[in-house]
Amino acid sequence: MSNATVVVVTSGKGGVGKTTTTAAIASALAKEGYQVCAIDFDVGLRNLDLIMGAERRVVFDLVNVVRGEASIKQALVRDKKLNNLYLLPASQTRDKDALTEEGVEAVITELRGYFDYVICDSPAGIERGATLAMRHADEAIIVSNPEVSSVRDCDRIIGLLDAKTKIAEDGGRMPKHLMITRYDTDRAKTGDMLATDDVVDILSVPLIGVVPESKDVLKASNVGLPVTLSDENSPPAKAYMEATRRLLGENIPVTIPEEKKSLFGKLFKGRAA
Amino acid sequence: MKFKGKSFIAIVLAPEQPFDGWFKELDRIIERSPGFFIDRPIILDVRGSNIPIEDLEHVLDGLGERSIRVMGIDGISGTRLKQGMPPSFGGGRLTAEVDVPEPATQTGKADEAADDDNPQVKEKDVPSSSAASASDTNGHSFAKSLDELERESAKQGDSSIVISDHVRSGQSILHPDGDVTVIGSVSSGAEIIAGGSIHIYGALRGRALAGVAGKDSARIFCTKLDAELVSINGLYKVADDFDGTLRNSPAQIRFENETLVFEGLN
Repeated sequence: MSNATVVVVTSGKGGVGKTTTTAAIASALAKEGYQVCAIDFDVGLRNLDLIMGAERRVVFDLVNVVRGEASIKQALVRDKKLNNLYLLPASQTRDKDALTEEGVEAVITELRGYFDYVICDSPAGIERGATLAMRHADEAIIVSNPEVSSVRDCDRIIGLLDAKTKIAEDGGRMPKHLMITRYDTDRAKTGDMLATDDVVDILSVPLIGVVPESKDVLKASNVGLPVTLSDENSPPAKAYMEATRRLLGENIPVTIPEEKKSLFGKLFKGRAA
Repeated sequence: MKFKGKSFIAIVLAPEQPFDGWFKELDRIIERSPGFFIDRPIILDVRGSNIPIEDLEHVLDGLGERSIRVMGIDGISGTRLKQGMPPSFGGGRLTAEVDVPEPATQTGKADEAADDDNPQVKEKDVPSSSAASASDTNGHSFAKSLDELERESAKQGDSSIVISDHVRSGQSILHPDGDVTVIGSVSSGAEIIAGGSIHIYGALRGRALAGVAGKDSARIFCTKLDAELVSINGLYKVADDFDGTLRNSPAQIRFENETLVFEGLN
């Protein structure tokens, strides 16, 4: 029996890459040999099953489990490639009011017994779904794009993490990690994007990784594979793998995608010529 | 022509049935502190009560007899009001409750009055600023009546609070009693409201409203000025109207001759 670390992946704003990050980190942790479960809290707008390529095997979902209509073991979907990676899908037909606080607590408590890591994919917004997803977390990954509205929403979420979670109510402080996604090297150069330093400065949360904007992410989600599994050598996969090692406590410096990308740029240039 | 914006704290009276009892309670307050309602903006709150217009007339007459002049009525459509009644008044945001001042000899009774909450006396901020509420955050909220505040500051100086953390977007620190010191940054979308001065050891990216209880001498200090709005004693300026030279540098803001003066701190 293990006692899992529960990590919530959250951002406030939609479309920044929470689900991609959840899938990538969960599968990267599984590749490291940990027993991992990813939970989709986005009831009504579930996506994590698609990104992880599990949509054709979903029978029961989180709402069924919370309401006692199915057991957790019935609802968990095992990954096709990694047999130590599981998904607890959201319901697509219900809404977030179907989740109760006690029900979610019971689910998380049970999952803690089976896994090493439980990764909760939070829905966008600051309402019920999002607060329930973060409620029982031990750590948080804050996903932000390098632009102002996303950063402000993250700031709001950080405030909630420090006020409305179980840890905060017990007088503790939730460890937080900042993941900057959709980082565009070209736009960073021309200055029409917030620099990584500015985002870190505004949010005052330690940086865990910078993931470049990349076609590989789109490609991976279209084939239903987390980006860390579809092409291990792609820049976003490398960034997520590094971030995962930092999450596990390794002390490696964060690489800003610039140099890497320029190397790739050279390769592409060579090919085009 | 330019218009100035100024915000005031209004007392909100919510009449309760039976009105005779409610008026008796009001008379008790007036008896104890005859000046309590004088020169204060007063809003009548009938939200949710669906009060018949005749009853409203009765309440307004009763208040008139007690020389309580209502500046507006909250929670009723303007079309239902009769000629000569105060205008309908929307918006506004509840602030902390106003304690009814009490002569020192009757302290025991004062608690009683505050406890049964009858009549309800609440402070309301007019006009409303942001929709942020202190209740869903770890914001701190303390409030006392203005009279009491003046008494206190005369006696023992203002109280002050220290927030030793970042104030995040959506959080609101409300401290009408005195100074607020923040050790950390105030994010865009966050606000600090203080009766006294505001000191920020970090970047001010949100709103800072100092001297809200009518204190001209209040100031705002920050180590990095990138505010959305600053205000002292109701006089405010938004980021667009700031002098650009102080942006992102240490600054203080003070109130002088009905204007806000921005100065660098070095």
